[in-house]
Amino acid sequence: MVGGLAAAGAAVALAFLVLPIAAIFLRVPPRELLDQLTKPVVTDALIVSAKTTVIAQVLVLLFGTPLAYALASRRFRGRGFVITLVELPLVLPPAVAGLGLLALFGRAGLLGTSIPFTQTAVVLAVAFVSSPLYIRQGIAAFEAVDPDMVAASRTLGAGSTKTFFRVVLPLARGGLAAGEALAFARGLGEFGATIMFAGSLQGVTQTLPLAIYDQFAVDFDTALAMGALLVVISAILLVVLRLVLTWQPSRRTSGFLFARSS
Amino acid sequence: MRIVLVAVLAAAVVGAAGAQRDTTRPTVLAAASLTDAFPKIGPNARYSFAGSNALAAQIRQGAPADVFASANIKLPYGLYGDGFCSKPVVFTRNALVLIVPRSNPKRIKKVGDVTRKGVKLVIAGKGVPVGDYTLKVLKKLNLMGALKNVVSQETDVREVLAKVALNEADAGFVYSTDARTVPKKVRTIAIPQRGQPNVEYGICVVLRVAHAAGSKFVKRVISPAGQKILLRYGFLPRKKR
Repeated sequence: MVGGLAAAGAAVALAFLVLPIAAIFLRVPPRELLDQLTKPVVTDALIVSAKTTVIAQVLVLLFGTPLAYALASRRFRGRGFVITLVELPLVLPPAVAGLGLLALFGRAGLLGTSIPFTQTAVVLAVAFVSSPLYIRQGIAAFEAVDPDMVAASRTLGAGSTKTFFRVVLPLARGGLAAGEALAFARGLGEFGATIMFAGSLQGVTQTLPLAIYDQFAVDFDTALAMGALLVVISAILLVVLRLVLTWQPSRRTSGFLFARSS
Repeated sequence: MRIVLVAVLAAAVVGAAGAQRDTTRPTVLAAASLTDAFPKIGPNARYSFAGSNALAAQIRQGAPADVFASANIKLPYGLYGDGFCSKPVVFTRNALVLIVPRSNPKRIKKVGDVTRKGVKLVIAGKGVPVGDYTLKVLKKLNLMGALKNVVSQETDVREVLAKVALNEADAGFVYSTDARTVPKKVRTIAIPQRGQPNVEYGICVVLRVAHAAGSKFVKRVISPAGQKILLRYGFLPRKKR
């Protein structure tokens, strides 16, 4: 009886999560969905999204990796506080992130820049909301690296830079990739901070989520088509993520384990 | 234990559904420009203010609304034609103005200045009534060149207002009633009469869940008392004089 109830509950939860996504594909015939994707509003949004997401994620990797490594390898007073600060954008409502970015980078803001309404603004908004996912995962990945391996590398004469790139980074690779996949997906879906900080202009700052919102009031089928596109991209990201996480370097081919001292 | 759990779940589902319906309080989906005036006319109603086109789309998707008040007459007529709402009536009118931040960083003095290079112009998107009116103004005044200065197409008039009031944009086109709400933050520049579009607001009772509260609300909006409140907020009389 209890088992039956649990199974029913599980089925409800699964259906609840799966059906809305399935409905996107069922509502409009696939042929028509594909036709919608050739509309300029869609292709423009796809290009803006691809460009800003890639640039934002390169920045996240470039600046997030050193921060994650520093927070993982150093112990100092207030470390927990700093980690909390880094994680804060993750739990903040995106609209608050948009307000913050405007208050700092806005023309009337603290720094007084002309960034709002530009693609740079989109990149900043995406980096702001997505980087904590990568940094969080990065800290965990770096912390999981066996300190003995690092010590061995140093004893054998490798400098700290060489040790980082030849030992630490390869060992943390899986965790970093997982964090980056999550950050990428979050960045691709970014809406609230972008529409407040960057505005929405087709071909310039209108990303796919913004275009979906815009088209919802104009042509529901076009909005659905873009929604389907984002579902597919996100699903691919998740599959890649699973592959990365389950993939282990094969012991037989990682030569040094069996290398003999001849 | 199990019974308690089921009861709690059932209560939550019923409660969530029930919270949306109370037949004496109409749910009014209204153009963002009515944000200040409508609650004064019907303090009892529940409101959702947004771009009229977004609201019309919600009604087409089955939003449980009683009244639709649009910043144009086209959208409610479209819903009427497709059987979503009663025959719309014009309940008020409005005028467009150009607004600039108080500090007016680009020294904009007249509407024609929006075509100047480097002016950051914010307008509402296509399909949003105020966005369509803005295009009409620019066309009538032969200022279509201003479109290259557009840095953002917002989803409703209040978003345009906010971007200018925040001093993030140099200029924007809004209704005169919106400009009045933040007199300390924006300066208003009148649009020559020959450039003014005919801004008529249409209202209709949504048929899907029609009940008395919806038509009662519409009657109150059209009543002398309702009209007086709209005039007080700067809207124009519903009949052209």
